Amino acid sequence: MKGRVALLGLCAVLLALLPLTGDDVLIQYGIDALLFATLAQAWNIIGGFAGYASFGNSSFYGLGTYGTAIAMAQLHLPFWVGLCLGAFLAVVCAVLIGLPILRLRGHYFAIATLGLSATLSAIIANLDISGRNIGLILPLTRNDTMFYELALVLLVAATGTVAWIARSRFGMGLIAIRENEDAAQVMGVNTTLYKVTALVLSAFFTALAGGIHAYWITFIDPASAFDLTLNVRMVIMAMFGGPGTVLGPVIGSFILTFVYQLLASSISTAAALLFGIVIVLAVIFMPRGLWDLAGGLRRLGPRYFLQNIRAHRL
Amino acid sequence: MSNPLLTISGLRAGYGAAPVLFGLDLKINEGEIVALVGSNGAGKTTLLRAISRMIAAEGSINFAGKELMPLTPEQVFATGLVQVPEGRQLFARMTVEENLRMGALLRRDPEGVVRSFARMYELFPILAERRRQMAGSLSGGEQQMCALARGLMAEPKLLMVDEMSLGLAPVVVDQLLVVLSDIRKAGVTILLVEQDVFAAFSVADRGYVIETGHIVREGTVAELERDSDLRKAYLGVA
Repeated sequence: MKGRVALLGLCAVLLALLPLTGDDVLIQYGIDALLFATLAQAWNIIGGFAGYASFGNSSFYGLGTYGTAIAMAQLHLPFWVGLCLGAFLAVVCAVLIGLPILRLRGHYFAIATLGLSATLSAIIANLDISGRNIGLILPLTRNDTMFYELALVLLVAATGTVAWIARSRFGMGLIAIRENEDAAQVMGVNTTLYKVTALVLSAFFTALAGGIHAYWITFIDPASAFDLTLNVRMVIMAMFGGPGTVLGPVIGSFILTFVYQLLASSISTAAALLFGIVIVLAVIFMPRGLWDLAGGLRRLGPRYFLQNIRAHRL
Repeated sequence: MSNPLLTISGLRAGYGAAPVLFGLDLKINEGEIVALVGSNGAGKTTLLRAISRMIAAEGSINFAGKELMPLTPEQVFATGLVQVPEGRQLFARMTVEENLRMGALLRRDPEGVVRSFARMYELFPILAERRRQMAGSLSGGEQQMCALARGLMAEPKLLMVDEMSLGLAPVVVDQLLVVLSDIRKAGVTILLVEQDVFAAFSVADRGYVIETGHIVREGTVAELERDSDLRKAYLGVA
């Protein structure tokens, strides 16, 4: 355990030193990858641990984006105030929508969350303070190293939180809810409190990632801030890596972002297909993600794949 | 022996506009096994849900000197009133051991939990053998044992067992009934909610018969077994 923590710490330090290479393109890819990993990790809390497939996370991302943008572009407040405002909006939203719709289970929950992005996007597009349809332009700061390190700190914080969850009573309660919610309730778990807390944590980290991204990219509009495909990518990255694990979503999103960038620069049509293909193959060949694959291959070798294929009756 | 642990009086409950329980009175003394029997739809499970405070209800439920009415389900659980739900509701994709650990989820005494594990494996040797096996792969009887053990891991004062015999072979039910007496010897009071009147009466001290939301008979098992109406209706003998 200690060895593993030390190894992870070393990885984080190495990642932190990456801007020293001075390679602008590499650093920009890095920011992208770190923010995506944070989003996948945040989704992991509600989707992976509690088992509630949320499509509302793109709304939290959008609120984080707009909170930051409104604070900086309209109210001329510093960046960190904007981050706090964005996170606050997302957390309030998570509580308000969580209390009613976390009563829904399975597909019904997913469908209910689907509508949220569109609704919020429509509201934002009609408010003066958020620049209506046109969007907002944030003050320009050309300091990619700062954005990179900020994104890294956020990812470490999110992963640290998930590591704590995985070992805590709270995390066990979430897993109980995922595996059998009725049983969890009978075992004295306050299921509503646990689920809403999970959604709030997920919203918090998602909004912070959105805020950092907004300041980095400097221009935002409703369509890009509340983009549902972003939510789909969070889900795919977390599923690919291993939902309900501590490091799976991070590793999964690093790998997928890398492959995506590689394809996008050579065969861009294939890049668009990537996530669709990945999710189909991942569900069939490694239903519990990379993390399960690593353990499964060690135990079973190639039989691991056969077993999963057979489970799908192919 | 005759300290009342649970005293229910005038309990009314239902779902929305449909009332199910019409003013029930029920008492369970410390150390007793009480059987609550009745046919499908009589309100047995509704009564358990009302006691656990999962559905709205009126009346009074006093447990170990505490009024349960204003409490949430989690608070009721914390008072030591634990349910073994109908259909067992195990965590199928978790091992037996993990299931038991879930029963002790809210306990804050790690040493006590270790002791409870040892006691459970003593009480249910088959679970010790299967501790690393997925709960979903156990036989019906083993699953029911796992569900009982999981409930006991929470250190209940009163264990409410709902439809324990459901879908189990009579010989397995007999084994479980023996275990229930062992559990009682360990100081846990038991409310056994059953359709299988024979099974329930073979282990219980007292019984209540519930019909369409009313308690229609109560008494010691010996008294109830002598009751000719009951013999006809439930035991199938004249």
